[in-house]
Amino acid sequence: MTPLSYDFMQRAFVACVLVCAAAPLVGAFVVQRRQSLIGDGIGHVAFAGVGLAFLVGVSPLLGALALTLVAVVALQRLSRAGLGGDVALALVFYGGISLGYLLSSRSDAGVGAVLGFLFGSALDLTWGEVGVIALLAGIVVAIVALLYLPLVAIAFDEAAARVSGVPTSGLTLALTAVVGLVVVGGMYALGLLLVAAMMVVPVAAAAQVARSYRQTLLLASAIGALSAVVGLLLAFYADTTPGASIVVVAIGCYGVNAVLRAVPRRAIRTATLESRQ
Amino acid sequence: MSAPEPQRRVGQTILEWDHVTFGYGRTPVLRDVTLQLTSGELLAVVGPNGSGKTTLVKLGLGLLHPTSGSVRLFGQPVERFRDWGRVGYVPQRAGADSPLPLSVLEVVRSGLAGHLGLVRRPTAADRQRIEHVLEVMGIAELRTAPVSQLSGGQQQRALIARALVTAPQLLVLDEPTTGVDAAARAALRQSLEHLIRVEGVGVISISHDPEGFADLADRVVEVRAGRVVARDRADVEVRRP
Repeated sequence: MTPLSYDFMQRAFVACVLVCAAAPLVGAFVVQRRQSLIGDGIGHVAFAGVGLAFLVGVSPLLGALALTLVAVVALQRLSRAGLGGDVALALVFYGGISLGYLLSSRSDAGVGAVLGFLFGSALDLTWGEVGVIALLAGIVVAIVALLYLPLVAIAFDEAAARVSGVPTSGLTLALTAVVGLVVVGGMYALGLLLVAAMMVVPVAAAAQVARSYRQTLLLASAIGALSAVVGLLLAFYADTTPGASIVVVAIGCYGVNAVLRAVPRRAIRTATLESRQ
Repeated sequence: MSAPEPQRRVGQTILEWDHVTFGYGRTPVLRDVTLQLTSGELLAVVGPNGSGKTTLVKLGLGLLHPTSGSVRLFGQPVERFRDWGRVGYVPQRAGADSPLPLSVLEVVRSGLAGHLGLVRRPTAADRQRIEHVLEVMGIAELRTAPVSQLSGGQQQRALIARALVTAPQLLVLDEPTTGVDAAARAALRQSLEHLIRVEGVGVISISHDPEGFADLADRVVEVRAGRVVARDRADVEVRRP
């Protein structure tokens, strides 16, 4: 039997490839803005949303989405008030994970059910959940494609973009909201902690070999998708956890690209030295 | 060798600081500054690091708001000004340490974002303008190179090309010669002369380095201890090593 013979693997492949291909498209902008950990932080707040959802008995997706959007607006306000530094962000993020744990401990489902969202369960997805993931991934890709040029402008140089008339505050809010969508979309498949890694690691891997921003985005998306496929195969054949396997494969891609980047430089240095002798 | 005297379109006031005072909290940075830039002139703003030069320019561009006094850009209060395509701004060493590779073409194209709005794509005319500014700045052959891998002078020219892509009437350069070697500085000077003389762009160049572009300037002002004082251009040139 091949992995795709199983329904649960088909669902896992579709969901993980969608999440891992879409996440770096957003990640490239947050990495360029030196906010690589923002996805991780929003994941902490989404966890509080899941805890709240369990407590009041609504869909975890709804709870995570609601609190994530609240966090996005709160981060924007903190930043405008000059309180966007490490400490203020840490208060929001650690407050989120503590609140999630606290709320879930008071819910009927208990802490165990909520903890599963931290690392995801790609092999337990329903087609309904895959549909939601596909919808969110589609929204993410559409927003990035539509706002590509102004997003590049604010990612490269926000001050100059602002002077040239780009609505930097609104775009920053939109970008943070899209990060939130990726986190919520990825929480079932990869988990709230690991989905943030797929926003950053494939981008870092692609940047080793790409020569332009567009190349970085496309290559990172491809590396994300490849990591999802190889990671799930690893999980299937070696009985490892899917989310962690995907992230480890992505980190492996980073290592391979770093070597590919270093080898030509070393070869050039050696050839130069030999030609001088 | 001194630069040939350009034929400039002089007259219209582009940017005006009127009795502007500004401070961060209780720390005063600029006091009662009154200054004007007219079209077709190069204004050099010199002064030591931390003297308030960048603050002066940020107030002029509406990135900071004065504690008292007012700023007018193309005749309008800067806080109400919306026609930002008329302004090009090159912050100090922006993007030089970009974590991801952006090609020269991508950086220059990003200068169109404000002009195009959120969803419009560059037109054929926009692409022609991009080619024009790449030629003017002498970096057409570097269009596919990642900006972070260029020399300081090439990076600066790419950033100026980005600022010029909307054909601005005002160009603001913050420390344009920092990290730029003598040869690249000469090339940059040539490009600037073209912009001022042929394209009639009004330029403000701020620099802590008296060697900056003060000798090209029509007027030189020095920011010292929060005050702006007019300087004799020759005096700035005399101090050059």
